[in-house]
Amino acid sequence: MECKNFRYAFRDIADTDDNIHMEVEMIYHNLYITVLILLAIMLFPCLVRAVRGPRIADRLVSVNMMGTMVMVMIAVLALLLDEGYLVDICLLYAMISFLAVVVLSKVYIGIYEEKRHKAENPDEDEEGGMSDGSF
Amino acid sequence: MGVFEWIRLIVGGVFLISGLATFFTEIFGVFHFRYVLNRMHATAMGDTLGISSCMVGLMIFSGWNFTTLKLLLVVVFLWFASPVSSHVLARLEVATNENLEDHCTVYPELKMLEEELAAAADPAKQADPASSDQTKA
Repeated sequence: MECKNFRYAFRDIADTDDNIHMEVEMIYHNLYITVLILLAIMLFPCLVRAVRGPRIADRLVSVNMMGTMVMVMIAVLALLLDEGYLVDICLLYAMISFLAVVVLSKVYIGIYEEKRHKAENPDEDEEGGMSDGSF
Repeated sequence: MGVFEWIRLIVGGVFLISGLATFFTEIFGVFHFRYVLNRMHATAMGDTLGISSCMVGLMIFSGWNFTTLKLLLVVVFLWFASPVSSHVLARLEVATNENLEDHCTVYPELKMLEEELAAAADPAKQADPASSDQTKA
């Protein structure tokens, strides 16, 4: 970064092609930083929705939304740092986020079914932990 | 060469900024609607259009290399994953909400179909109408 600034300060004596290249580099850098800051600001309303959401599905929807934004952040970071392997992490993040939403939905459906089953016939004994066939 | 660089910067930047605008619209919709099944509309828009435009902008920035291919792979994966997760979330909401009729219309035909499916899934209840038919006969 210091080296870049040094070359940027003496651009009058540098030759023109290098000059334009440096300017475009600086614009790219600033654009990436701006996009990252905007996405980080937009993550907070998602967090608010995840805390306030009256139902469980609200929270899961907002977690899904946050996952999408973090994916874009990782992709922007991959281009900002010029490290191609960060996009692989982005792909893995997409898969794990999808898996988390599906598994949590199934778990909550199973919990609800079990609770309702217990409420319908309360005098049944407690054993039978494997009985939730929906999960 | 300089002109090409500027065109690439402007086109990619427009795509990236429009993706961010889509994300902003998504957040607005999530806070605007009052119920989960309505909020899901806004979320699905961000999952498909928002991330697609952001990734197209980044692809234009990155040029022809493997990074572009991997970014495309992320978008293609989300095209498949987002509808499935939305479907599972909607099923969670419909299965766990006791008073769904307060928020949206549940058609009576759908309820009858649900009861039929529940009877078919449960063998004890399935045996009941058959036995009653036999006693009637």
